[in-house]
Amino acid sequence: MKSAFLTRPRFWVAALAAAAVVLPLVVSDPFALDIFIRVLLFAFIGVAWNLIGGYAKQLSLGHAAYFGLGAYTSTILLIRFGISPWIGIIAGGVVAMLASLPIGALCFRLRGPYFAIATIATAQVLMLLFLKFRDFAWGAEGTTLPNLGDAPLMMQFESKAAYYYVALALLALGLTITYRIERSWMGFYLVAVGEDEDAAEAVGVDTTKIKRHIYAISAFLTALGGTFYVEYIYFIDPNTAFNFNISVEAALVSIVGGIGTLWGPLVGTMLLEATSALLQSWFGSGHGGVQLSVYSLILIAVILWRPNGLIRLFTDLYRRFAYRDPARAKEVALDG
Amino acid sequence: MLEVLAQAVINGLLIGGVYALVSIGVTLIFGVVKIVNFAQGEFVMIGMYISFFLANSFGVDPLLSLLISMPTLFAIGVLLQHFLIRRVLALGDMPQIFLTFALSLLLMNVALLLFTANYRTVQTAYSEMSFHIGPLYFAVAKVIAFVIAMLLSAILYLFLHGTDLGKAMRAAAQNREVAMLMGINPDRVFCVAVGVALALAGAAGSLLMPFYPAYPLVGQVFVLMAFVAVVLGTLGNITGALIASLMMGVAESLGVQFVGADSGLIVVFVMLLLTLALRPNGLFGGWAR
Repeated sequence: MKSAFLTRPRFWVAALAAAAVVLPLVVSDPFALDIFIRVLLFAFIGVAWNLIGGYAKQLSLGHAAYFGLGAYTSTILLIRFGISPWIGIIAGGVVAMLASLPIGALCFRLRGPYFAIATIATAQVLMLLFLKFRDFAWGAEGTTLPNLGDAPLMMQFESKAAYYYVALALLALGLTITYRIERSWMGFYLVAVGEDEDAAEAVGVDTTKIKRHIYAISAFLTALGGTFYVEYIYFIDPNTAFNFNISVEAALVSIVGGIGTLWGPLVGTMLLEATSALLQSWFGSGHGGVQLSVYSLILIAVILWRPNGLIRLFTDLYRRFAYRDPARAKEVALDG
Repeated sequence: MLEVLAQAVINGLLIGGVYALVSIGVTLIFGVVKIVNFAQGEFVMIGMYISFFLANSFGVDPLLSLLISMPTLFAIGVLLQHFLIRRVLALGDMPQIFLTFALSLLLMNVALLLFTANYRTVQTAYSEMSFHIGPLYFAVAKVIAFVIAMLLSAILYLFLHGTDLGKAMRAAAQNREVAMLMGINPDRVFCVAVGVALALAGAAGSLLMPFYPAYPLVGQVFVLMAFVAVVLGTLGNITGALIASLMMGVAESLGVQFVGADSGLIVVFVMLLLTLALRPNGLFGGWAR
């Protein structure tokens, strides 16, 4: 009985969620909490990226565009009109969603690597535009966000733990949406598009429509991350909001963890952020280049030896643990 | 006004010649191996640092170091194809893109660690020289770079059309299976294609050194130009990439001249997006995707 309980995935999800909720009560060191917040945020952005990049296999390297649009929309609403970032975060999501329509219409004309390049270009164009238009959005200097003290209604908190819970809520939202999509007709269509676009089209999937929809959802979620990030660091400039590294990290965590899987981005982020924290404590933060060198080595190793991502390693181990009976394990492996 | 315009066009054409070397490499690898090399710009960077250190330590003229940077990068290309790219050829788009992309990140950041972010320049006797034709001004270093770039492109064209190995490469580009049935060894052809493409990137690096600073991220500028030129010039089409690169150079130069100093890249990206919107198969027809 006991082992049957332990083998149920729901038990593990509940345990993980409970651990995540009590974590700030146990850990109060701000440096550690900062790392956890980064993990949650980048896992969330990875989850958002994974919808279009992992399930539909449309390799976007321009998600910084939506991150930045979300960040700028809510900041402009906050500073110019005094509107709470809680409203701004949704507005930013909507703006990103709307922007994804023309961007998608252009970029989806290309496939594979050239889709990736086109998305890089759109993010760069947006960054250059925000750099150039000073009157509209503070230009290259950027701006600091007004510090309102402890103002939960304005998404500003005294304690780091509060930011942690906001990020945790975002990640939970992203995972829930992914879980729902994975199990709906849309999920099956997406996987069909990802496997073979022409074949999907041939059996009657409207591939253009499905890509447009999932891209919009992905953009919306990414923009939420953008708003949260600038609210957290109290600063915005084009280089922060549209940084190419955000696009890279979103894709990287998913690929290292396992694309097209629910938990892949979280696993990938935990590994990469843990690596990055370790490197910082060993080398200090002064050595530019160490972190990304190590990231790229991990990425190359994963591609060469574990192209399905690290999560496959865990699920295989889990199955070995959960189903001692080899016949049963084989059956489940075929199912999965 | 007309003179300013003509001057901008000339400056653009001259730098466009160097872009062409990078674009031709990208399109050659894409045509033959069917892979987009995101790290192509980093090989320009390596070529630049090779020339920089040869000039700095041994006083070798950057143009002469072409004779070292090109073979070195050819060898790197063969190794790259043999040990890395070959292993992901059967795996589909995603691992292929991310392999070369990771390589690009790795090379940039290792360069940052080894050489720091400082700008390195090489002063040659002709770095500051220029001559005039009528009212127009020509920088000698850029003219030399352009002429050698065009010469190398012409040699590549002759190689692809005149030699057995070149013809085998074109055959493999057109139809890999049929080429294999004709007795062409794809591994060998792919190694040569990647080697040649990297040698061209190395040549671009050496040619740039007399008038362009080397720094770890320098490749990004060139690879973005090259990608746009390759889409514009129709994927896999070498002549198309050459012509499109010259156009990109001119477009960038006109952008800098008439829109503002930092708007060169905007012009380039807008051209890419316009191309995608209006002619997704590139200007020179044929096959896209």
